[in-house]
Amino acid sequence: MPLDTSSYSFALLRLDGRRWNELRRIHAQISTQAAADGSSYLEMGNTKVICTVAGPAEVRRTGGGSADAEVKVEIDIAGFSGVERKKRTKTDKRVAEMCYTIANAFSSSLLTHLYPRSTIQITLHVLSQDGSLLAACLNAATLALIDAGIPMTDYIVACTAGSTSTYSSNDETADPLLDLNGLEEMELPFLTVATLGAGEKVSVLVMETRIQIGRLESMLAVGVDGCKQVREILNEVVRKHGKKVVDSIIE
Amino acid sequence: MPREPGLSLNERSFILQALQENIRIDGRSFDAFRDLDLNFGDEVISRISAEVAKPFPDRLCDGIFTITTELSPVASPAFEVGRQTDQEVILSRTLEKAIRRSGALDTESLCIIAGQKCWSIRADVHLLDYDGGLVDASCIAVIAALQHFRRPDVSIEGEDVTVHTMEERVPVPLSLLHHPICVTFSFFLGGDVVLIDATLQEELLRNGELIIAVNRHGEVCQIAKLGGVAIEALTLLNCANVALTKAQWITRFISSKLEEDLRAKTPGSLLAELSAENER
Repeated sequence: MPLDTSSYSFALLRLDGRRWNELRRIHAQISTQAAADGSSYLEMGNTKVICTVAGPAEVRRTGGGSADAEVKVEIDIAGFSGVERKKRTKTDKRVAEMCYTIANAFSSSLLTHLYPRSTIQITLHVLSQDGSLLAACLNAATLALIDAGIPMTDYIVACTAGSTSTYSSNDETADPLLDLNGLEEMELPFLTVATLGAGEKVSVLVMETRIQIGRLESMLAVGVDGCKQVREILNEVVRKHGKKVVDSIIE
Repeated sequence: MPREPGLSLNERSFILQALQENIRIDGRSFDAFRDLDLNFGDEVISRISAEVAKPFPDRLCDGIFTITTELSPVASPAFEVGRQTDQEVILSRTLEKAIRRSGALDTESLCIIAGQKCWSIRADVHLLDYDGGLVDASCIAVIAALQHFRRPDVSIEGEDVTVHTMEERVPVPLSLLHHPICVTFSFFLGGDVVLIDATLQEELLRNGELIIAVNRHGEVCQIAKLGGVAIEALTLLNCANVALTKAQWITRFISSKLEEDLRAKTPGSLLAELSAENER
């Protein structure tokens, strides 16, 4: 059921009390599963994702195998993760598209040519959904790949950006919004943007809602800026974990 | 599994070097579409069919609209029957997002009796010959077909619904709210070269793609850059603006072709009299 977000204009505060340019709390952990080559746990607000990475490993089927490592992605969305209990199968086209996007994004950021004839398997488990699902999956996968020690050119970090106006109204007062939660995503136009590195290079850009072309610029700018903030946070998590590992070796 | 044969090293380096020297192998400029031919059935076939069905229980006042795509071995030996490839998933998802989710077809107008009967409109996309630009061609075909389609008129008396034959009453066109057009951009050489409407050879070589669906009113209906090489944000915004001018051009082209078709079918001054459309 769509919820009314029109109260935004009174105090310029969103449904959960954030201002337009504020991210939700991001909490991340690295090396959560001992059995996997790399693993991570990431929360963006109430969206919670576990990611494990296996590989680079030998290609299972005989023959074939290309000169670059192949990135494979599997997403498992738990039945209890949403508001309604709904089982999404692997054949669901929305999930298939997300898998394709994540695989495609990482196969150009990872140095896949170092591992010919091998696969890198990324498995994502979605425990709880509250908006920014694709962004959370991309961020979790970045952390797990770092944990697995697979060389990459730079971090891929993602977040969402929306706009307070609907597609029909042409008012110029509309604010761009950063990091939408589930309720806002249902109602407002939004895009998911993922950047590679600290600059403004966009690796993934997905939008499914209708919006005036003039709005795009501000939304993209806010999204790219949000990605920079997310990058800082993830970078800190990685460094903290690295320090812990080094300390444990010295002792 | 049959796969698209890769390009030879010679072809690869030839095409890429040509691009570096600002030349495309078929002599087009970077932002030019290939010749577009629309005669209501060719290369990509899109067929619309309608039937009376029961509406979904959660959407009692809406009709049903589905888009199905089929990539058969007719078009290219790389396509297999009965197996869904990534390419097919992306195609049907893109069409779904661009046309269905953006509300191009007014599904409420397909309702006959709320909760009991509605029209189910089905768009089948069949690919006949594959030389790149799959999404663009399919999208244009579906939009043109939807505009071209006429459904039988119905009359309601109490609970009874009569579907009139085409001879009895003039069939009614579908109510389309806007016409989204997909434009695909391909990135080469790490994003330095941007092409519109790549051929199959060029598609095999590209580092990334961006599909934008725009309508002629300047509304972006869908953006999909699903991974691939990372591109400067400003370049992407430029692409959106180029997509808009291309979409306006294609929309004009479709409507001129539709007019031609209508004139050929209804001779003389009968045109105005035969219209069953209401003034809006």
